[in-house]
Order: sequence, then structure tokens, then C-alpha cells
Amino acid sequence: MKIFYVPTSIKIIAVIMSTIGLFACNSEKITEPDGKLDSCTLRFSWWGGDDRHSATLKAIELWEKIHPEIKIEPEYGGWDGWTEKINTQVAGNTAPDVMQINYDWLVTLSSDGKGFYDLDKLTDYIDLSGYSDEILSFGKSQNCLNAITVSMSGRGFFYNSDVYKKLGISYPKTWNELITSGNKFESEDVYPFDLDTQSGATAWYLCVVYIQQTTGKQFLTMDGKLGFNEEDIKSALDFYVTLEQNHIIRTVKERSDEDGNDALYQSPSFINGKVAGVFEWGSTIGKYESLLENAKLEAGPYLSNDSGNKNGWMTKPSLLYAISADTKYPDEAAEFINFLLNDTDCAEIFGTTRGIPANKKIYDFLESKNELSGISYDSSEMLSDANPITVSPYMELSKMKEYYNNAIDSVSYHTATTEEAAAKMYDSITRYLRKINET
Amino acid sequence: MKPKNRKYNNPVGQSRFTGLLLISPFIVGFMLFSFFPLSASFFLGMNDCGISRSEYVGMKNYIDLLTDNDDFLQAIIVTLKYTIILVPLKLIVSLGVAVLLNREVHWIGTYRTILYIPSILGSNLAVAVMWRYLFTSDGLVNQFLAILGLSPVGWYSGSISAMSIIVLLRLWEFGSTMIIFLAAIQKIPLELYDAASVDGCGRIRKFFNITLPQLKGVIFFNAVIQTISALQEFNAPFMITGGGPLKSTYTTAMYIYDAAFSEWNVGVANAASWILFAMSALIISLIFVVRRKTEERSK
Repeated sequence: MKIFYVPTSIKIIAVIMSTIGLFACNSEKITEPDGKLDSCTLRFSWWGGDDRHSATLKAIELWEKIHPEIKIEPEYGGWDGWTEKINTQVAGNTAPDVMQINYDWLVTLSSDGKGFYDLDKLTDYIDLSGYSDEILSFGKSQNCLNAITVSMSGRGFFYNSDVYKKLGISYPKTWNELITSGNKFESEDVYPFDLDTQSGATAWYLCVVYIQQTTGKQFLTMDGKLGFNEEDIKSALDFYVTLEQNHIIRTVKERSDEDGNDALYQSPSFINGKVAGVFEWGSTIGKYESLLENAKLEAGPYLSNDSGNKNGWMTKPSLLYAISADTKYPDEAAEFINFLLNDTDCAEIFGTTRGIPANKKIYDFLESKNELSGISYDSSEMLSDANPITVSPYMELSKMKEYYNNAIDSVSYHTATTEEAAAKMYDSITRYLRKINET
Repeated sequence: MKPKNRKYNNPVGQSRFTGLLLISPFIVGFMLFSFFPLSASFFLGMNDCGISRSEYVGMKNYIDLLTDNDDFLQAIIVTLKYTIILVPLKLIVSLGVAVLLNREVHWIGTYRTILYIPSILGSNLAVAVMWRYLFTSDGLVNQFLAILGLSPVGWYSGSISAMSIIVLLRLWEFGSTMIIFLAAIQKIPLELYDAASVDGCGRIRKFFNITLPQLKGVIFFNAVIQTISALQEFNAPFMITGGGPLKSTYTTAMYIYDAAFSEWNVGVANAASWILFAMSALIISLIFVVRRKTEERSK
């Protein structure tokens, strides 16, 4: 009965440490595929807008008709807070069996290649013949196939065509045309487009494109090395200031005053046409389109310099499918992913709600059915002429976006010169990348 | 005396296990939901801990946070500033309203209920969202200013105005503090006021010489509760300003959230939580010291 008396502090610490060890680390128990499909319920999570949600729910209905023994439990919502939710689930070993994942999660959740299920073990189920080696490489971590790219997407301009027509202004084709158009927009109290310093960090992305085109350098390499020096970052911030000064975009202050922390697509200025365009990934432009009831968005050209150089624009896997490393049903999850990626009926239901498919076979199928259309497709076609650079997954990390946004905010609010902001940003990014590359 | 020889004379039996059995729900709950998470948090704070990695680094996270992390230090300053502004204001407003509501007038119960409603809504996120829309460029507040012939205010772009929005929201939720004050005021013996009236004291003198000294304990209690709550502020700045502009409303709790769930830097987040705890403990201790000093002086 001694156990009821106070145990030694060392014993307590030992118990705590061992229990923390159990909770702090991911389980190493991997369920191996058994070569057959059992009756089970799989959890499938994704984020997106209403168009994606309804298409996916219809696809699940179709799946359950084909495989009534494998039920799918959907978990879906908007992008805000989704990363935090999945991070928590993965850390707690309660992640859904099948997940739609973002590109940078391969760095944050599976830097050792073990954060997601090794899909190379499941190639009996998943047909990868429609994917090029390059596309497949985007889903690899430490040479381990962790995820499969669903679609590639570029960040381009989408304009409110009604406003442009009303003002008699054509979409700019070069940076100079863009800058000089500011005067005309200013006289009408309209902005050609807008950028933001929220989770998308669009302001910094556009500045990076400009500097990449001007210098031929890549901001960040695929393995997380900084390609820009301090001077390049300063030039990027100078370019941002030029955009504000020439009435191309609103200042951070103007944006904040309007609606605080709201996303650009929900802001009154975008909805009523005062902001006549956005700079956004083709795969997510649907949420902007759906809010413009009385106007139409059109994809605009990717800007070049005066000699026609269109380099520097960026593309990335807009989203990928992965299987949880803790799944008890790897065979069934793989079969479901194969359905999502390769089934033509499913592809017809999805259309372009997840962007333009990266699977060549499905792309050809949808093209033959004239299902590939819309502004996301138009933008994607225009981007293919621009020789785009694939975005490094490190560029998408939330901490990196915080550094970009801090620098943009400080130059916009004039609390720092572009030199000071560039020095701070360069120092912060260099230190952060060094740290994550060490671990 | 050896424990096995002890006699337990309790109403539910002689066995010494009975008592333990009866308090076991609390013990188990405390161990699972308080002791274990707190201990785990402390030890995780000494690890460089991500989703797929965990390495013991000793006090490095704590030292880095306090010496080499501008964002965290700024978050602490913002949190302290917010607490220093909000707590005294809230105590003054709650006490003032409690004194007003202590009068014998018609419909007093209704007034008390109406003024308490914002506190019931409390930290409801819907209230924070509503608050955000009140202060947008064409929100209700700016429309009201326009009616008065005043120019609209850019509430979200100034560090002072953005902080004011959050302070105002929390100030609006003064009901709980006010109810505690009201209950305490009603317990003050009326004889004291009668005696003061006989001595010719006016209302203001009665308030400062009778009401306030009698409420010392309750003021202290409310100050402690409100300080703890302000130091942990998260919902309002997260929902209303997102920490902006230029991180002027970015609180320590927001830093902890970002470190833990956005960057999955669990070690740093836990270390930051313990620093916040230590800071809270220090401030509360200071309030205790001030109280003791004032009590000693009044003796």
C-alpha cells in the first residue's frame, strides 16, 4: 500500500518524461498493405470553396455506389485555420486517412519523408502513368513519394472585365503599361488590382516575380536556399512602393481601414469594383468569381518587360493527395485516391474545382469533353507560354510569409526604409532557413 | 505513528480507502487535465519539438525568447500595455455602474439585467465579428460620426485606435465585475452611511471614505481576475485586428498560438506559455504586495 504515499519526485519526473515521449512523437507503427480491400470507413479531408465541396460530395456518392463496403466520412471547410487543424491532427495521430494537402506541408509535416504514408508501397492501387517524373517529384520528401499532385497552378492577374470596359482600358501586357495606367485609374478613383499582406502574401509574390524577371535569379531554391541577396530584396520592396505611389494598389493602411482583417475577396471594394482585379492562384480564383454577382472576372496576361521577356512567373502544385502515416487502411485509402485521380466519371464531376488536372490522361479526357474552360484554365494556358518557375515549398511556409508581410507592412506604413526592411527580412529569412535546414 | 495504525473516523466508514475513493474523481481529473498537461508543457518547453522531431535543448527556448526574439518581446509589451489600459478602466467603469445600480429606483432589475447581457455574450466569437464590422470604414461607428459631422476614423490602421477597439469590446463586457461590486456594496452596513450623514458627509465623501475602503477586498479580487484574463487575451485581437497594424495588437497568446499551430514549434510555444505564466504570477504577486502594504498602512 506504499503506493498511496507520496512517491519520489524522480519517479514522477520519469513517468512524466516517458508519457510526454509517447505523446510528443509520432507513432512509428505503420500498417502494411495486405493486398485486399476490406470493409471500412475512411476519413477524407479537404479545404476549399462551395464549388469544390459540392463536387467532392457528389464524387463521394459515386465512390460509395462503386464500393459500398468502403464508406467515406468527409471533413471539409475553408482554408482559414485549416493548416492549424491538420497540424494538430497529425501531431495527435488522429489525421484523416486521406488528406488533401498543401505543398509546404511536405516540409513542415514530413521533412524526413515519414510524415505521410509511403505511396511507393501502394502503386498496385494507384495508377501513376498519367504523371511525369517532374510532377511526381513535387510530392516527394527525402525521395519518398508522400503525396500526388492534383493540379498545377500559377499565380496570375484576374480582372473585373466590366470595370475595365467601362473605363476603356485594356489589360496591361508589360510592367510599364501597368505603372502608367495608374493615372487613369486614379482619376476614376479605381485601382487596377490589389495585393494583400494576409495569409496569401500576394504583395511579396508579385514583387518576387518582378525581380526574378529582372535579375534571372530564383527567390528560393527547391531545397530551401535563398537565391536573392539583400539588394534584390530591397529592389523588390522598392517595386512595391512604386506600385503604391502610382495608384496601382491600395496602401496597407487603406486596406486595413476598410474592413480590418477581412480577406480581399470579401472586401466591399473588390465586390463593388473599386478594386478591379486580383493577383491569385488559378486554382482558388473560384471564390472571387462567386462573390462578383454583377460582374465578370477574366484572366489577364502575364506581364513582361518592354523587350518581351516573360520569365520569372511562378507555378506550384496547387494541392496534393496524401495518406496518413497512421492509417489502418492503406489499401482502401490508395484505392480511393486512385478513384479521385484517375476515374473519368469522378474527373467529370470535379471539372476544374481543384484546378487544371496534372494527370495527363485526365487532362486529355476533360479536354476531349470540352470540360476544360473558365478563367482558371485561361490563366493556366497563358502561363504555359511564360516558362514559369516552380515555387519552392519553403516559400509557402507560414513563418516565411510573416517575414514578407512584416517587410511590406513596414515600408507601406513608412516605419522603415526599404533598405532597413530588406536588411531585417534578409537576416530573418537566412536565420530561419538555416534553422529548418539543420533540423 | 505508522500509517497502517491510523484510525479513520469518518461518517462513511472506517476504511482509509473510503476517503481516497471519494476524492479520486478530483484526483484523477486533476492529474489528467491539470498536472499532466502542465508538467508536459514545462518539459516540452525544453525541447526543440516539431511534428516529426524532438530534441532536448534545455533552457535554450526560454533564453532565445527573452533575448533574441523581437516578435515575442513586442507581444509581451503589447500584452502589458493592453492590461495596464484595460484593467483600471474596467474596474472604474464597473464600480461606477455598480454604485449607480445600487439605487432604489423603478425597473432597477431590468437595468441590471440589460447591463449584464454583454458579459453573458462574453468571449463569443460572433460578438468579436460583430465588433469588427462596427469599426470598418463604412461601419456603424463611422456612420454615427458622420451624422455628428465628424470625419470618419481609420480604426484599423492606427496602433492606438486598433488597441482602443479591443479595449472597448472588453470594457463593454463589464457585467461580471459590476455584479461582484454590486453584491459587495449591498453588504456594506447602512449604519455607516447613516452615521456619516449625521456627521454631515456628502455623497462623494461617503463614497471615498466608506464605500471604497469597504470594497478593498473585492477591488483586489476583481483586479486579480481581470489582470489574469487580460494577460491571456487572444480572441478579440485574433478576430478583430489579426494582431495589426504592425503587430501593435499582437498579444502573447497570439504568439503562442502561431508558434504552436501555424509553425508547429511546440517547444517554443510551451516555453512562451511558461514565460507568460511567470509574468502573470509576478504581476499578481505585485498586486498582493500592494494590498498588504495598503492594509498595513490602514492599521
